[in-house]
Amino acid sequence: MIAGVRVAALPAVALALVVGVAGVQVAAGGGDFRPLAPADACGERAPTTSRAEGIEGLTEQLVLRGVDDAACTLGVSREALTLELAQQDEPTDAQVDALRDGLRTAVGEMADDGVLPPSSSLVDEALDGADVNRLLAAAIRALPDSVIDDALPTEDVLTRAVDELDVRAVLTDLDDADALRDEVEPAVMQAVRDELVDRVRNLV
Amino acid sequence: MGLLLTVTVGLVLADSAIVTLALPEMLQELDASVAEVAWVLISYNLVLGVLAVPAALRRVRAHPRALAAIGIAVFAGASAWCAAAPTIEVLIVARCVQALGGAFALVGALELLVARSGERRGVAAWVTAGVVGTAAGPVAGGLLTEAISWQAIFIAQVPFAALAVPAALAVREPVPADGPAEEPDLAHRPVVGHNVTLGLLSAALTAALFLLVLLLVEGWRHSPATAALTVSVIPVAALAARPLARWLRPPPDVEVAAGCLLVAGGLVGLALPPSADLVWTVAPQALVGLGLGLSVDQLTYRAMEGRRPRARHAAWTISSRHLGVVIGLAILTPVFTADLLDAEEPATEAIASLVIDAPLRPDDKIALARALGEELTGQRGQVPELSGAFASLDVAAEDRAAVDDLERDLDDQLDRAVSLAFRDSYLVGAGLALAAMLAVGVGAVVRSARDRQRPPPPSGLPSRATASGTEVGR
Repeated sequence: MIAGVRVAALPAVALALVVGVAGVQVAAGGGDFRPLAPADACGERAPTTSRAEGIEGLTEQLVLRGVDDAACTLGVSREALTLELAQQDEPTDAQVDALRDGLRTAVGEMADDGVLPPSSSLVDEALDGADVNRLLAAAIRALPDSVIDDALPTEDVLTRAVDELDVRAVLTDLDDADALRDEVEPAVMQAVRDELVDRVRNLV
Repeated sequence: MGLLLTVTVGLVLADSAIVTLALPEMLQELDASVAEVAWVLISYNLVLGVLAVPAALRRVRAHPRALAAIGIAVFAGASAWCAAAPTIEVLIVARCVQALGGAFALVGALELLVARSGERRGVAAWVTAGVVGTAAGPVAGGLLTEAISWQAIFIAQVPFAALAVPAALAVREPVPADGPAEEPDLAHRPVVGHNVTLGLLSAALTAALFLLVLLLVEGWRHSPATAALTVSVIPVAALAARPLARWLRPPPDVEVAAGCLLVAGGLVGLALPPSADLVWTVAPQALVGLGLGLSVDQLTYRAMEGRRPRARHAAWTISSRHLGVVIGLAILTPVFTADLLDAEEPATEAIASLVIDAPLRPDDKIALARALGEELTGQRGQVPELSGAFASLDVAAEDRAAVDDLERDLDDQLDRAVSLAFRDSYLVGAGLALAAMLAVGVGAVVRSARDRQRPPPPSGLPSRATASGTEVGR
């Protein structure tokens, strides 16, 4: 074999093999095989596909939007805030304030987006789960939807519920579905009562 | 007899990496920490690297038969002791004794193989056994661990080594062939360039022989047997290196440089897997194996070629290789353990993101998040196994498919995080291989300049030209 070829052949073969293998790995996405990066909490996010319906589904969407807004306020990702809250014994004041503001903002955004259901569509479910006299429940169910929707606008009730909510207690019980329900339901019922009282006062 | 001695050489060098796939099992069974288990690897390589040259001292070298027989017997006894070790401390001490015996066995076996088969064939058998042993060690260790237990790795070595003791004693004591070079003042100096290159390349190969195995078993959660079969690509490719070199007939320095380039390229390939599918490790491993086969034996020949005393120069190559492994472990282990810790946060956030957005009922998400949190906390310090969290989840039948999809997606996120954590270590390994390639170039320039100034060698010494290692073993 010619001396020059002897010197160059093996390095050329080696280089071709290296470039070929590395090229195929990179072309197949080798450089991008890394964990999912958290989305910008302040950016637009596609709505989460929910398996829950009714009040539970509404609460889930509200909480997810609220956590997003709170994370944006605190300058962290939604995931980082969720993990921080899950790992802390007590949420900080800043986290509590950011989440309450986030939930309020989320109610407004959902109202603007037209995704808040009318309160009449939630009445049956709410009465099923509430400790209400059967006669009173039957009377409320007999009311026309338009009366209920006028008396209890969903946005107003939810905003009141957020104000009533003990956000610190909710965050402390974040990993306990039953405890969460025990925190949220009284707040919603109190909000409904306050809203009705306000309406009656205005009528008088 | 020659075969038994060759197998023993292969075993001693395979022991450098043979326990890699057994480390997780040792960690559990011996109730040890990760740092302690790492010393099972480090201690062997360190002792072999430090003792190889003293084992080739003139007085010891004068009786290679006894030297080899005692060394192999100590190696066999220490192997049995390793298998019986009740604690990690005892295992580490036994590994040191195993390496001590191994150092004498290697030096003595070289002299006996040369006495039995002649310079060319004896050295070729010794070098080839070393390359095959180094490359095949993790494969053999993984298969034995999976099939039987980690103790089987050591027990399996005992009969081979025990049979090699009478085989060593049966070889006729070689006539000192080193001639005047036996006198210390006439002995050749070690070839610094080739030994440094060998050390750098061994440090680089640590990434492939140790870290890849760790990635497959601990990171991608494959069984030791699957990992062993996967890394068998390296020894198979190493065997293909000789025919390739014979076909292209490159100059020795070019062959070594091309080998280093292939090792570097293979490690870059391992740093860039497009997924955790084992198939993506095959081509990069083939490059590493080919590079190992082209460079390690050639460097070993070149460091020994025409140099006397032969055993001492062989010992320098052993020392360079095993201290290179220790240096490789010392450089790469902190890099990948730090990267593994850094990977925890993005992995956890990715998992949180997928759970939050999963098409599941809120109650199920909360229950799963709590179970995952417990798993992640309980398995802190290692790549977590998430299946326990999913097994404990009680969901409606119609949600089962979504849960299965989520479990697959979370495992994929873990694979991504772990692969990314190993990336820097592979790239550092590739850098070490390129440094070895650079050392070949520098060494070639220095040798060329020195050869131009050097007077012809005295007649008593075999010159590098006449005893050229480039022809030995070819």
